[in-house]
Amino acid sequence: MTSALDAEPRPSSASAMDPAPRRTLTSLLLRGSTQAGLFVILVVLWVVFANLAPGFLSKFNLNSLLRSVAVDIVVGFAQMVVLATGGMNLSVGAIGVCAVMFSGYLMQVLGLPIPVAIAGTLALGALLGWLNGFAIVKTGVNSFVVTLASASLFSGGMLILTKAVPLNGLPAEFGAFGKSAVGPAIGSMPAIPSLAVVALAIGLGLYVLFKHSTLGRQILAVGANARAAEMSGIPVDRTIVFVHALSGALAAAAALMLTARLAAAMPAVAGDDWLLPSFLAPVIGGTALSGGIVSVVGTILGALLVSTIRSGLLVLEIGNFWLPLFLGAFLLAAILVERGRAAYVAREQARRA
Amino acid sequence: MALTVDKASKSFPGVRALKDASLELRSGEVHALMGENGAGKSTLIKIITGVHRPDGGRLLLDGQDVLFASPRDAIRLGISAVHQERNLIPRFSVAENILLENLPRRTGLVDYARANAEAKKYLEMIGLVVDTRTEVRHLSVAQMQMVEIAKALSHEAKVLLLDEPTASLTGEEADALFALVQRLKAQGAAILFVSHKLEEVLAISDRVTVLRDGETTLIGEPMANMTRGRLIEAMIGRAERIAVVRPPKAATGAVKLEASGVATAAGHRDISFTVRRGEILGLYGLVGAGRTELARALVGKDKLSGGTLSIDGKPAVIRSVEEALKRHRIGYLSEDRKYEGVVLLHPIRFNVAMTIWDRLARFLGFQTAAGERRATEPFARQLEIRTPSLEQSVGNLSGGNQQKVSLAKWLAAKVDLLIIDEPTVGIDIKTKAYIHELIGKLADDGLAILLISSELPEMVALADRILVMHEFRIVDGFDNDRSYEAMSRKVMGAIHRRSDEAVAVE
Repeated sequence: MTSALDAEPRPSSASAMDPAPRRTLTSLLLRGSTQAGLFVILVVLWVVFANLAPGFLSKFNLNSLLRSVAVDIVVGFAQMVVLATGGMNLSVGAIGVCAVMFSGYLMQVLGLPIPVAIAGTLALGALLGWLNGFAIVKTGVNSFVVTLASASLFSGGMLILTKAVPLNGLPAEFGAFGKSAVGPAIGSMPAIPSLAVVALAIGLGLYVLFKHSTLGRQILAVGANARAAEMSGIPVDRTIVFVHALSGALAAAAALMLTARLAAAMPAVAGDDWLLPSFLAPVIGGTALSGGIVSVVGTILGALLVSTIRSGLLVLEIGNFWLPLFLGAFLLAAILVERGRAAYVAREQARRA
Repeated sequence: MALTVDKASKSFPGVRALKDASLELRSGEVHALMGENGAGKSTLIKIITGVHRPDGGRLLLDGQDVLFASPRDAIRLGISAVHQERNLIPRFSVAENILLENLPRRTGLVDYARANAEAKKYLEMIGLVVDTRTEVRHLSVAQMQMVEIAKALSHEAKVLLLDEPTASLTGEEADALFALVQRLKAQGAAILFVSHKLEEVLAISDRVTVLRDGETTLIGEPMANMTRGRLIEAMIGRAERIAVVRPPKAATGAVKLEASGVATAAGHRDISFTVRRGEILGLYGLVGAGRTELARALVGKDKLSGGTLSIDGKPAVIRSVEEALKRHRIGYLSEDRKYEGVVLLHPIRFNVAMTIWDRLARFLGFQTAAGERRATEPFARQLEIRTPSLEQSVGNLSGGNQQKVSLAKWLAAKVDLLIIDEPTVGIDIKTKAYIHELIGKLADDGLAILLISSELPEMVALADRILVMHEFRIVDGFDNDRSYEAMSRKVMGAIHRRSDEAVAVE
């Protein structure tokens, strides 16, 4: 009896257990393929815009595109980390506005050194996000409802405290960082804006979190099946509170980047304007609304797609009123193309099997 | 009406689910479809009901080739299925559910008077007495199943597929269902009956078709010629292994868990018992007796409202499953595999490593897929999880293999006490025997096991002691002498004595 388990070797299943490199590669390609498809669409758009409007590839336009997309990427990340658990954060914009004004207050009114102000602002974002998470976990109410309410609370509180007066006297270095760039400009290519470097660095951090950390795995387990995660000893509540705090800190980071870009703290720059893009970038990029699947690279590409369309229309001098229409059409097209490709791959696989 | 499947084949990515499978179903018969998990039963059913289209082979209805583009086509031609996963809408009424696709209308609005009358007609046909206006969520599982059959009848089903219909029914409910099946058969319906329970199949079927590894090893064999042994041989390709019975053992290991006077909000009162290392303590009871609820309270999922626990001789309070695992080394293998046991979306290695991420973590919680694979591979190998690779999503595995993944997770966690809840529900014979052996071996290796099961043969084969739970109390307990007859008499006696008393008091 004791040896019954080991004494029954089954060569077929034993050899099946060996890692099969071909399969892994296929699954890797497949998983990366949403992003690959997105990349192709981006390249096509860039070629089209570059041909229609020579101004699109101008140093000035590329620089401004990269600086604005840097903020969009981080806004997308702020939503992505909550989507990973199957929840959502409708207060990314509200936290962003609070962070914008708070950073201005710390630097201009209190005159704190920039690093201290940055740390304080990130802490405020994390705190507001933590409050969201805490309320969700304690009440058991859906994150949609909780963050819908807190979004109004946060932005309302901010308006009362600041009276919506912009702060224009930020330290010069802060605004200078928003305009600075890293590395040399090559030909018509501008140097990489520092803000874009910051966004990529945050992206790298999140990539490591989801790909290579216990916490990231716990987040994905909770998102895919919270009950199974809890019954396997994973601290589901703590994980949810954490992603909301992280989401708040990321929203605050985006707010800091925006403040640096504009060299002023203005209350009207974030808020509701962030809500849709925050969902667009991760969802176009392959992050599942139902939770359990995220893509950092996809979120970056998704934000790039949205910014490219916006910038292209601007350069083509197509009125701003057309933007939503085009955005919607491109989105729909992108989703349909992706669907078609995925279906094709599934068919091919079935045929080969 | 006769339904014939002629040499149907079907492949999915990486799996050949069916290979030249055939089936011939006649009106006025109960036809059993058997096979282990992963043998291709579900695929065959999905082909018949229009969910999948076969890659090769033919589907004939009364000798005519048919091609279903969707389940609607199949339903229109009189083929309806009652699945394991219920397809009823909980907050809709019985009548609305039965007539969902064709509710009678008057001036564009639903005519509820007529809907209720019509639904009642179908309920009478199957002999179910419930108000047609009741919301389905208030019905018992057995009643829901009956409503699904009524729904199938409303589509004028001539071919009825029952997929594991008794999986969550009590004995009496199952008997009522079988009586209904006989009546429908007498009215000329063709019934395809899918079940793992040999006794049921032998009792109610006229003919049987058996699938093994996607191929039909028996096609429409008359049941009169069949024996239990021949069926099993057709299913697993060899004669049934003599059920492994653990030699009875006096528990000598240290006490791992002692419950005294435990009560819960779910309704448990005065639950006391001890589990020792190296012992399998059985917790037997009918569905709804409160066994799973007790297990959940023991692992900290639900709160105790009274009584005390002591673990390894020290008083203990367990506030969460995490605490149960990490501080007290107690694990719970859920009966609800899909929703609590495994994360279907993620790969095998992820699922097995879930309980040991803390241990695998390096500096700052750093993890790698390779590290997870290394740590989980021995368990996947030990449990013979059938998969091309550990990167396979658990959702792509068969039920038996999913259960093995769920079990591997707790083996990897190296818990001292494992609460095992209905480990073999909906699992094929071969995997079942395998899991039984494994549970025995784990106990021999010094694990304390609390085994919850409503299958008495399983209890008798495995448990060292059997506690009987009825209506949220432990009503009796016996040392297991491995004699099925004696134990079943004692256990049933304990349950029914209790019921009689309850009746007498009222």
